[in-house]
This record gives sequence, C-alpha cells and structure tokens, in this order.
Amino acid sequence: MREITLSKAVNEAIAEEMRRDPNVFLLGEDVAEAGTPFKVLAGLVEEFGPKRVLDTPISEPGFVGIAVGAALTGSRPIVDLMFGDFLFLVMDQLCNQAAKACYMSGGKLNVPMVLRTNLGATRRSAAQHSQSLHALVAHIPGLKVALPSSAYEAKGLMKTAIRDNNPVVIFEDKLMYQDKAPVPEGEYLIPFGKANIKREGRDITLIGTSSMVQVAEKAADLLARDGISAEVIDPRTIVPLDEETILASVRKTSRAIVIDEGHQSYGITGEIASRISEKAFYYLDAPVLRMGAMDVPVPFSPALEDLTVPTPEAVAERARQSVRGELFHAA
Amino acid sequence: MPHEVIMPALGMAQDSGVLIGWLKAAGDPVKAGDPLMEVETDKATMEVEAAHDGFLTDLSAEAGATVPVGQVVAMISDTPEGSGKPGAPTEAAVAPKEDSKPDAMPEGRKIIMPALGMAQDSALIVGWSKAPGDAVSADDTLLEVETDKSTMEVPAGHDGYVAALLAAEGEDVPVGEVIAIISAERPDAPVRRSRAEASQGRPEATESLPEKAAPAIAAQSGPAPKTTPAPRTAGAQPEPKTRSAAEGGRVLASPKARRLAAEEGLDLQRLVDAGATQPFHVRDLETLRQLPAPQPAPAAATSHAAQHLTADVAAEALDAFLDWLAKESAPATPRAATLAAFAAAAWADAMGEPGAVQVEAPPAAAVQYAPAQGQPIADLAQTDAPAILVLRDLVATPLRAMQLGAEATPVLSLTRAGDRVHVTLEGQMPPPVAIALLSGFAARLADPLRHLL
Repeated sequence: MREITLSKAVNEAIAEEMRRDPNVFLLGEDVAEAGTPFKVLAGLVEEFGPKRVLDTPISEPGFVGIAVGAALTGSRPIVDLMFGDFLFLVMDQLCNQAAKACYMSGGKLNVPMVLRTNLGATRRSAAQHSQSLHALVAHIPGLKVALPSSAYEAKGLMKTAIRDNNPVVIFEDKLMYQDKAPVPEGEYLIPFGKANIKREGRDITLIGTSSMVQVAEKAADLLARDGISAEVIDPRTIVPLDEETILASVRKTSRAIVIDEGHQSYGITGEIASRISEKAFYYLDAPVLRMGAMDVPVPFSPALEDLTVPTPEAVAERARQSVRGELFHAA
Repeated sequence: MPHEVIMPALGMAQDSGVLIGWLKAAGDPVKAGDPLMEVETDKATMEVEAAHDGFLTDLSAEAGATVPVGQVVAMISDTPEGSGKPGAPTEAAVAPKEDSKPDAMPEGRKIIMPALGMAQDSALIVGWSKAPGDAVSADDTLLEVETDKSTMEVPAGHDGYVAALLAAEGEDVPVGEVIAIISAERPDAPVRRSRAEASQGRPEATESLPEKAAPAIAAQSGPAPKTTPAPRTAGAQPEPKTRSAAEGGRVLASPKARRLAAEEGLDLQRLVDAGATQPFHVRDLETLRQLPAPQPAPAAATSHAAQHLTADVAAEALDAFLDWLAKESAPATPRAATLAAFAAAAWADAMGEPGAVQVEAPPAAAVQYAPAQGQPIADLAQTDAPAILVLRDLVATPLRAMQLGAEATPVLSLTRAGDRVHVTLEGQMPPPVAIALLSGFAARLADPLRHLL
C-alpha cells in the first residue's frame, strides 16, 4: 500500500468530500494561497476556487462565528483554526452557540461544522502555540472530539467528521504532519466512538491519544524486551469514547496507564482513568496511572520543553513499576 | 378551569416587581399572548402576557403595588365573573415572615432587604439614614448595606414616613426579609428594633438566637463583624484521626487480589503473618495458596472449649450448717475450710482423684486446703500444694453473676442474692466432668449434712 504523510491524508480527505458535496467549503486564516503554515491545504484553492476556500482576516471569533452561521443555514463548513491555542478566542462561538444549537432548538437546527485545529508541544513554539487543549472542548456536551494518531486515522476521521451533522473538533498533532503511514487509495471512513486496538497484550493496557499512541507503541516495544506484554489502545475519538473496548482490555490485563498530551490535571487522562476505576475496579491489580503533560506553561527552552511531555522511556518505566506491583503511594 | 396570573420573575435576582398598570380590565376577554399588565423591575419595564385564553378576573393587586415574585395578582377564568373569591392567596403571600410576629406593626409598604448581587443571600446593614418617624421621599437614601462585594445606598423607593425599622445597624439580614415599613401617614408609634429583639419574642427562633444576637450586641459599641459560619476545621479534625487508625490494621492489596481472595476463601492476613511484602497483588495469591493450611489452635485437640455453668441453691441449709459448725468446733472452723472441703469432695467425685483447693474471699488473702477423703472439716489445715481448683467466695460482695472466661485452673464462684446462693463454674474440662463437679458442689451446699455421710 502507498504511504502518504498525515498532511496529505487530511488534504485528500477534504478534497474528496468537497468533490462529493458542493455544500462543503473551507475557511480560515491562510487556508487559500498559503495552504496553512503547515501546507496541509496546499492546492485546494486551485481546484475549488476562492469561493469554496476562503481566506479570512485575523479574527478567530469572527470567522468561527461565520462558520457556525453557515452551518446553521445549510452549508457544511470546515473552519481552520491555525493553532489549537486560539480555541480560547472562539469559546462562545464553539461552546455556547455551535454546541447548543441542536439541543436548544429541540433538534430543529444542526451545526454540521468541522473545526480543524492542532495540538502538540516540542515544536519550539513557546507557551502560546504549543498547548493541547482538547480537554476544554471535550468537556462541553454537544461537541465531538477526534484525535487522529496517524495519516490513516486522519483521513478516515476527517471524512467522518465532515459528514457528521453535529459540530466536530478535530485535533491534528502539528509534529505529525510529515509522518507517513500506509493509506489506501480507495475511500474509507473511520466511525466515531470505536477504539482501535493497535497492539494486543497481556500484562498492561496503554491507552494513548493522538501522538501519544506512538509513544505508547514505542513504550510497548521497550517493555517487550523485559518480557512485559503491553496492549495499546487508541480511542480515536474522546467524545464519543469507546469505553467498552478500554474496559474489556483492562479487565484482561488488570493494569492501565492513560497517556495524553494535555496537561495532566483535570484532563483527558483523569477522565479515562476514572471511568476505568469506576467500572473495572474489581479487575484492577494496580492503580490506574495517568501520564499527561506537566502542569506548567509549555517552556520555550528546548531542553525544558522536552521534559514536559510523556516519553516512551517514561511510560515504560511507569509500566514496569505497575507490573512489579510497586506501592505507588503510602496508603 | 381558571388559571392564576402571578408576578413573574423577570430578572435573576428579582424578589418583587412593581405593577405599573393593568392593560386589561377585570372581566375583559383575553387571549393567550395578549399583554395583561406592565411590570417594572430594578432593571427594566416590560409587559406580561396572558398565558391562557379566558376572562381576566379576580384582580388582587393595584397599579403601583410592589408585588413579590410568584404572588397571584389575578385569574384568567372561563367566565367574566371569575371565581368570586377575592385574591385569597395574596394576604398569605404578602409577608409570611410578619405573620409570626407577636406584636402589631404599623401599616405601610414593606421594604425588604434587596438582592444586590446574583449570589447574595444576605447583606449587612451598615447604617440607617432615616430615623423612625422621619419623612422620606422615594429617592432618599434609606439605609446603607454591605455585601461581600460592595457597600451601597438603598433608596426608600416610596414617599411617606418611616413607620418601622426592623433590623439594627450591624445585623446581617437575609435577602427578602422585611427591614422597614414606610407609611403614607405620619405614624403614631414608629417602631425601631433589631432582628435579635424580634427573634427573642419568637420561641421558634431560639435555636438561631445566639448567632443572630451576637452582631446586634456588637452593634451597640461599634461596627459589627459580619457573621461568618463556624470554622469548618473543628468538624473536620476527627477525620484524619480515624483514617490513620484504619491504616494501621489494613492489609494493602489490589482490588482484584481482594476479589479473587474472597472468591477462593483465602485470608490475606496469612500473607501478612508469613511476612510477605505489601501491597499484595494477584500473583501473591499463589504464595498464599501454597502456605501450609492454617494450624488448628494448639490446645484444641487435648482441651475443650471454655465452659460456663451455673447452679442456684437455697442458702438456708448452708447458713444453718456453718452456724452449727462454728458453735461445735473450737477454735471455730473457718468458712473457707468448709467450702474448700465441699469443693474438694465434689472434685474428687467428678475427677476420681483428690486435690488442693484455693479459696479466695476478697478482701481476705487467698488460703489453700487439701482435704483428704473422710477428713473432718474441723481438722483441715492450710497447705501450699498447687491448687487444682479455685473457689471464689463472693457472697459478701454485690456481685450477682460471673462470666470471666476460663482461667488456667477451673474456678467455682459463689455469689448471693437474698436467700439464694448462685454458683458459677468456669473452666476447660470434658463437659460431663464439669457437670458432675458443679452438681456435686451445689448438692453439698444445698444439703451440707450429706457431706458428713
């Protein structure tokens, strides 16, 4: 099978959906001629023209508001938010308007909008362009949240997001745009709420999101050398979350580590760990562990920035402690 | 079916609205959606629409009235005549807090503590700007209040005279509580009192009295501190203590290890006793399964469970016998020797061998006798042979029943209630022996002359 970059996979997904459905259009800062700073959307304006690929002024609240309005009136906008950090600017449009329109209209209104943005640190972009803020939107009922972990996932999830009749926020890891993966030529969709068991294992379940899936897989390689068999699960979407696959895995392995690049406190890791503790408690042979980004603004210093995110070595070490049955806290 | 028209809540922190005017007259036909009345809150003036079709009837509030939110102001009825009942709910709803007051209040408009913030429950009265009896106009500042956010002046809201001030400076007053009355006419007997004074007149308020009285008292000498809830630390303190107590004896084990152990009937404590390192996990259960089966208690094979037997006999014969023996023997035979002789004889009968008996009759020191078969009681001498039986003579004490548990030596205890003597045997011996021993001893107490035969 051919291998393409995650960037190309997203581009293909959007182009295919724009060809399929004339109501789909793109808007955002630098999406047309520039094709975004990461060149993800390069070539789309040439094919679909400036009426379907709209460059907007630098006003996130304005153009996300436009997208919500367009979605309410029958279009299927894909709004591009250049950095996930800019979510703070569009909270009302996204969380108070898009997320609630269907509910508050008694189902009469839909917001078939995709907000594509990114997450991920270690790109030396400093504290305001390096955050992983998907927990912010996952907290809001009415928004679906997809976290592709590879080019294959990015294409299938993006196509599903565009066809969804409700607002979807899709976070790509900005460090993965050039990562290649096998992606079939033909059309495929990846359903929301269906986790992917990336690797089967016996001793511990590693649940990773976005680029942390790769971290978990590398940790599993390290653990295999020690004879520890780790199962790696990619939830793909955190809203909806495929709880059943996660719980079934933990019931089998009795141990779990949840890895996510958002800040550890009050985040995705805590939510998933908590569901495991609540619903698979009597199957647990060790405390469920969380590994998120350090609770600090992401440092600009490369040496410091690299310390703030989970690494395969750190995950493997925590997994060994868990399997050894260490006392993680003096009860 | 008639429908109630109430003063709606038009704002988040709104307690009442001013009915500016009716837009329909009593008896008018109305349709749902028709404007019924105009209402003014502190934020806005707006029209209130009818929610039902029918006829507007039973108007119970006049234009200009300040009406608490939720109070019925009219009905929408099926006929222009309406229910014929006056606005019954009105009176009850006007000021429920006032109804319980024992004393009469001047007539007039009731001024309530306003809600100045969204999350405000109460406000502190900093000071009154008017005194009872003063004339006020609507815009005059009536009082200054302090919330957790700010201090602000509250206008009187109505023209008239201050007929009553119902809370004192320094008092914290819940939002919605009536704090003043403004009358249209100059009041004959204006009232001034604090909430604390008011609650003293109301027995149902006593339990909250101390808290409420405090700021009132403080207000005499100066600005009062705001009442704050009692510090929570006091209530929270015992918790860590119990937790640390629980930690001491708790076996640390994973939920899964505990569940499997419970399913298999394994005792994790045995892993602790075997010196295994905590916390325990599923793999430690394998160690637990291979531990030797729990040893039965060491003495179980040779000994018996502790026994506790009691007997009850009339004291009359024993008393008479002891009196007689004391008279007939010289020097007088000690009571202890008599009892020891009976006990030793019962022991010999039950066990088939003699033995020494230790008699304890506190506060006297314990004495020991080793009566031989047929030996006259009067001849018994104290011995220091190891006792096979202890006899506790507790008839002089108020004790009535014994249950001390088995000791190294079987114990016969004597207690007394009126003319009955109660005998308790505690020990570890074959049940038939215990029964024989106690029966034999009790029989001798009941009929001491038998012992002489």
